[in-house]
Amino acid sequence: MNHLPQAWGRPRDDVYGAYSNSFLQTSGPTTHTQSPIVTGTSVIAVKFKDGVVIAADNLASYGSLARFTDVKRLRKFNTRAVVGFGGDVSDMQYLDRLLSSLDIRENYAEESPDAQLHAKNLHTYLSKVMYKRRSDFNPLWNHLLVAGLDGENKPFLASADLLGTTFSSPTLATGFGAHLAQPILRRTVPDEATVASVTKEQAVELVKESMKVLFYRDARSMDKYSIAVITKEGVELKENEKLENQSWAFAEGIRGYGTQVN
Amino acid sequence: MASIFAGAPPNGAPGYSFAQTPTAAPSGIREHSFYPYTDNGGSTLGISGADFSILAGDTRSTSGYSINTRYAPKLFKIGGEGPESKGARIVLSVVGFAADGEALKERLDTIVKMYKYQHGKPMSVAACAQRLSHILYGKRFFPYYVTAILGGLDEEGKGALYSYDPVGSYEREQCRAAGAAASLIMPFLDNQVNFKNQYIPGSGEGHALQQRVPEPLPRKDVEELVKDAFTSAVERHIEVGDGLQMMIITKDGIEEIYEELKKD
Amino acid sequence: MFIARSEYDRGINTFSPEGRLFQVEYSLEAIKLGSTAIGVATGEGVILGVEKRVTSTLLETSSVEKIVEIDSHIGCAMSGLQADARSMVEHARVESQNHAFHYNEPLRVESCTQAICDLALRFGEGAEGEESIMSRPFGVALLIAGYDEDGPSLYHAEPSGTFYRYDAKAIGSGSEGAQAELQNEFHKSLSLEEAEVLVLKTLKQVMEEKLDSKNVQLASVTKAKGFRIYTDEEMAEVVGRLPTN
Repeated sequence: MNHLPQAWGRPRDDVYGAYSNSFLQTSGPTTHTQSPIVTGTSVIAVKFKDGVVIAADNLASYGSLARFTDVKRLRKFNTRAVVGFGGDVSDMQYLDRLLSSLDIRENYAEESPDAQLHAKNLHTYLSKVMYKRRSDFNPLWNHLLVAGLDGENKPFLASADLLGTTFSSPTLATGFGAHLAQPILRRTVPDEATVASVTKEQAVELVKESMKVLFYRDARSMDKYSIAVITKEGVELKENEKLENQSWAFAEGIRGYGTQVN
Repeated sequence: MASIFAGAPPNGAPGYSFAQTPTAAPSGIREHSFYPYTDNGGSTLGISGADFSILAGDTRSTSGYSINTRYAPKLFKIGGEGPESKGARIVLSVVGFAADGEALKERLDTIVKMYKYQHGKPMSVAACAQRLSHILYGKRFFPYYVTAILGGLDEEGKGALYSYDPVGSYEREQCRAAGAAASLIMPFLDNQVNFKNQYIPGSGEGHALQQRVPEPLPRKDVEELVKDAFTSAVERHIEVGDGLQMMIITKDGIEEIYEELKKD
Repeated sequence: MFIARSEYDRGINTFSPEGRLFQVEYSLEAIKLGSTAIGVATGEGVILGVEKRVTSTLLETSSVEKIVEIDSHIGCAMSGLQADARSMVEHARVESQNHAFHYNEPLRVESCTQAICDLALRFGEGAEGEESIMSRPFGVALLIAGYDEDGPSLYHAEPSGTFYRYDAKAIGSGSEGAQAELQNEFHKSLSLEEAEVLVLKTLKQVMEEKLDSKNVQLASVTKAKGFRIYTDEEMAEVVGRLPTN
């Protein structure tokens, strides 16, 4: 028995010959992330009159393999800001740690929520981080949605991606959601003016319906998801929701779906 | 026994031993799959008049065939105070890669503000124009992927308009269209602002025909030109649409106008 | 515990208990040893004048450079350690060229003065112990004259880093007497020619040597001609205009 831990788990020397550690060599060019590895799919969010609803499923895929099925991709920052992460999960976890240290640095002396960083502050901060990293050719491979309330406690929703591109809209969706969910969301909330007439219940229902469409059509999605509602009352975060009222009846009418052949 | 496992599988696939996994980086040119730019579409234009400058841009932001948002401004007031940019006299428009545009705007804005603190006077458009050129050229080897147009009033109170390429070449012009629909709008502007291909009727035959002489247009006419340019561009270019933002710089300050464009 | 004054002469950036920086104050003394320099601002432009101390008949007087150009619209006269002035002027020249390069406009006279004064307190050691370029304060004062969009202006910059704008100012060994004379003689409606005479007349009073066209130097900054140092012929002409007594 070899008691040296560095040898454990390696191929047997008597079978494969002496183990080569050459892959640990650090020579050659430094490489940064060239592509994401473990990824999360869409994040979707909608503004309504008192706040924002945001949702993302709990799946982290390794290519086409559904690798981790209990990954929470919504992160509560404080009582008025939630960040949703699409893209690389390890970069998400890095940003999670970054936000934790930001929270400690900026808010440790400040108990009152009104004086803490709000969603708009957080979005500015994150977009600068993303733009800096892309400019260093070392991107954080994510597409983020920042949802919550701004300095005047009005609903705030904006996005930042791996290139540092930012934009804001009454409804937002990342990844596949931009193609599949966004049109559905826009049907109900076409512009900023309509936000004032959308209730929390309507917004939640809309988001749940969109999550269902995403589950039907996005191969890298899952029926277990997280959903957060941010209002003046705080963040209402549920991390183990299950898609309800699924019906695959529509599959019968679509060629290539289900059991029918032509 | 060991001989069975020795060497790679016969079909030439990678072996199971770490000894056979490639350790050196493949030689030759390495392809990086991260590309730090994107095109967010949209168009901008600027026209200068006798005592005003006008800048305009649509508010659509795109990624490929998707619309990111229907309201993402491409026009920014430079050197003003507070979030509303109060007291600003210069407008910058940027089109291309929006993140670079935002970064460029913030750099120029802080420089113009610092200038006022350091020299005790507001920066002139001519000075700002030269500075902007140097900012862009300073990133010559990793450019801000934007086409910028800078507008304001010159020292004599005349409309001043400067247009740029992404690496800082610039010139003062009467009018300029930039961005996705530049090739659609610019010929229209050539004809309607600089009267290109317009001749004075009856002034002669062939080469003797006299070119109509361009003159600064009144503000009302210019605003109409801008609106016409954009409604036409919306019809023919998929990346242009949603909203039209205009800023008019006069001696009284900056006036902002927003109008709807087609959302299809 | 009382500590003798001399203890605070050592640390170049150390305040004395009375709140003084002795090395900086000493540098002001160094200027009082320098030759007299005078500046007078009029509505048409600014006149700078200096005395050249011709210590030997063998000295080539044209090699004494106490008035120098910073840019085509800014010049300065100095009193004190001339070698120190060189690095200040060099800095001002670079600053002025940089400004024109970046902004396509001439640097303002006040901004130029500020740029020079920014250098003044960069002596001693930094807070993190990083190397500093200068081991002691400058031993020179400058009269900076220029013409910008606000018209002609004259500034006085000290080794302490402070600067003020003046209508007329004298620095150097004869400054006390000269300043009193300027105080009496200056008025807002001086012409450029009157200012030339006033500068030379004042210099004449405080100089040890007898003033002639070789041991003084004039320069002017005007809108039309910018900064220019007077030629020997022009000097002779102005000296000729001086009232004889």
